[in-house]
Amino acid sequence: MIAVDHLIFEYPGLRALDDVSFRIDRGSITALTGPNGAGKTTLLRCMAALDQPVSGAIRIDGIDVLEQPRDCHRIIGYLSDFFGLYQRLTVRQCLHYVARAQGIDEQDCDAAIAGVCKRLHILERLEMRPGELSRGLRQRVAIAQAIIHQPQVVLLDEPASGLDPEARHELAELFLDLQRQGMTLLVSSHILAELEAYCSDMLVLRQGRIVEQVAIKNRNIASTPYKLSLATPIYNLKEILNQLTGISLLKIETDQRVWLTIDGDAMQQHRILKQLLALDLPVCEFALAPGNLQDAYLETIKQQP
Amino acid sequence: MNINPEFQRQLYLECSQARLIGIPLILGAVFTLSYFADNHRLASASTQAAMTLFLIITLLWGARQTMDSVVEEYRDRTWDTQRLSALSPWQMAWGKWLGSTIMVWYAGLICLLVYLIASDPGQPLFWPCFYATGGALLVQGLSLLLGQISVRQGHTKTGSTLLIVLLGVFIIAPWNRFASFAYFQQTTAVTWYHLRVIQQDFELISLLLALFWCSIGNYRLMSQELGIRTIPWYWLAFAVFLIVYLGGFLPGTSYPFSLMAFMVCISLSYIGVVIERNEAIRIKRLLTYLQQHNWRRSAEELPIWCVSLLLATPFALLLSVSEHPMRNLGSSFHFYPLPVLLLLLRDLALYLFFSYGKNPQRALSLTLLWGVLLYGILPGMFTLAGQNWLAALFFPLWADSAGGALVCALLQTAALSALLFRRWQESV
Repeated sequence: MIAVDHLIFEYPGLRALDDVSFRIDRGSITALTGPNGAGKTTLLRCMAALDQPVSGAIRIDGIDVLEQPRDCHRIIGYLSDFFGLYQRLTVRQCLHYVARAQGIDEQDCDAAIAGVCKRLHILERLEMRPGELSRGLRQRVAIAQAIIHQPQVVLLDEPASGLDPEARHELAELFLDLQRQGMTLLVSSHILAELEAYCSDMLVLRQGRIVEQVAIKNRNIASTPYKLSLATPIYNLKEILNQLTGISLLKIETDQRVWLTIDGDAMQQHRILKQLLALDLPVCEFALAPGNLQDAYLETIKQQP
Repeated sequence: MNINPEFQRQLYLECSQARLIGIPLILGAVFTLSYFADNHRLASASTQAAMTLFLIITLLWGARQTMDSVVEEYRDRTWDTQRLSALSPWQMAWGKWLGSTIMVWYAGLICLLVYLIASDPGQPLFWPCFYATGGALLVQGLSLLLGQISVRQGHTKTGSTLLIVLLGVFIIAPWNRFASFAYFQQTTAVTWYHLRVIQQDFELISLLLALFWCSIGNYRLMSQELGIRTIPWYWLAFAVFLIVYLGGFLPGTSYPFSLMAFMVCISLSYIGVVIERNEAIRIKRLLTYLQQHNWRRSAEELPIWCVSLLLATPFALLLSVSEHPMRNLGSSFHFYPLPVLLLLLRDLALYLFFSYGKNPQRALSLTLLWGVLLYGILPGMFTLAGQNWLAALFFPLWADSAGGALVCALLQTAALSALLFRRWQESV
């Protein structure tokens, strides 16, 4: 659905995107993560044809974004981190304008506005002005603007920033709903726990480079680490564990908590547990570590130079 | 009905009930006053008041409205929303141009109506109204153009830009004569390329041509803002148009024509560099495309001032080999075309040098400051001190020979180009 090849973008004295290439499948929700200044917003703006890169190519559903930006705008929705709402118009007028500007016929506008507002629970706010709404509601109006024309691809820059937990949950539900309708979403965010609720893939950007693209929902269970917790610290824990066969140590914390991988299935896990008990280690937990997006992200970042 | 969405949005913003009622009430009060001044009838005082009010409203308020229609978007951070729409540049441009001034025209039409009612029967009414309307549209269009240029240079305050518009309005203030019927009864003719045309007709055509080029300018700037790639052919076409248009007023010899063409190209180069988005990275893109032999992309990245600069070069060469009626403009001041061209290049380099710096918004004021130093203070200082050769070093047109002037101009251009190149390298 989205193909980015060798994208380079430069600000004066700074290469913000450095030979960025990746693919995003149709119908996926991809988390775009990375530290501050990694180039996330710049990448999204280039993909939305708002900024022009030095070189490279971006294709969205076969459309060359750099060559045909206006065609691209018909099939994408973009939510900027500052929403871009007209403060002097009512919510209905804002949505009507965007609907018409995106090529929806006048007679279809009311239905489009009603549909998107129902989905975002803002039907009763249509006659209010954005300035009279809370941040969460303003953000919903901004999302409504971005998706009113039923785009195939939605690019969202920090959509959950400043939202309360309930609003974030609703946002996650909305994104999953959009995914079910066949839309492809690329969501930039720092809040990894929130992204985990709905993202199927993760793109990690660091210093303008893609350092990893991983499929979160399809992560291989065999590579999932196990966590071993002991009741008390054991001084020479590393040496003791190195005596065991069929395990690989990943990390030891305070001689009391260990992350390791095992070669095999649940029976192998049982055999290793028996060995641990035979060594008289005070085991109080030995189970699959509850892996999350944050771990995956930190792991990725740590592995990079 | 599918009307232009941008125009419709402007209607939402502008057409409030308070304005729809308030404007006729205020204008009604003014015209009641003029009615009493005309001894209880609508006559000359009302005609004058109506046309003056029309000009004030459509020129001043109208100019502000069209400029704000762009600058406010940038200030309120809604410009990206507009850029992401599927509207064409032309829809966007005329939607803003006519939409933001809808109440201006509402008030203006009331004034014109009073003007028509108050005028004496038998007076030519169509032409004054047509000229005044066309002039107002032109000023509003130019203001929209300035708004777009302000936005691309990151200026979100309209005050200083509006000052320029006001200056322009005062320059075109002679249009007030359209309120005078006597002007339209004149039969003065204008000679243009041996054609004799009635002055009013010629001015009318000129006004329509100015409106055409103003529309083209707005369209092209809006295209660029909306991410549409453009080749600067329109700048070339505009330069050629100006040369042909102004050439019609000159005597039939080649020297004045070449001189005028040269001055037009120089002026357009200065204007071009100021209105262009001067990003160091753009030059890098241009060089990358040139290396790739991607000529179309190279043309798209070519700054417009390059076009007028290139066009100026043959005229400079032609003037250099022509007999110079204007070689000596004073006892020590001369006109050397090639050094003038090099000085233009130096000034462009100076402006770009500041544009690639940390405060590109100050590039124009800093360049003007340096211009005053290089063209006025330093040469003047050395001249008064009797050091003419030093004065010529800073302002080569003081040099006694064309060769000396060329060397001085070359030295300055080379020095500035080296500085510019270093700064450009630091920027990319």
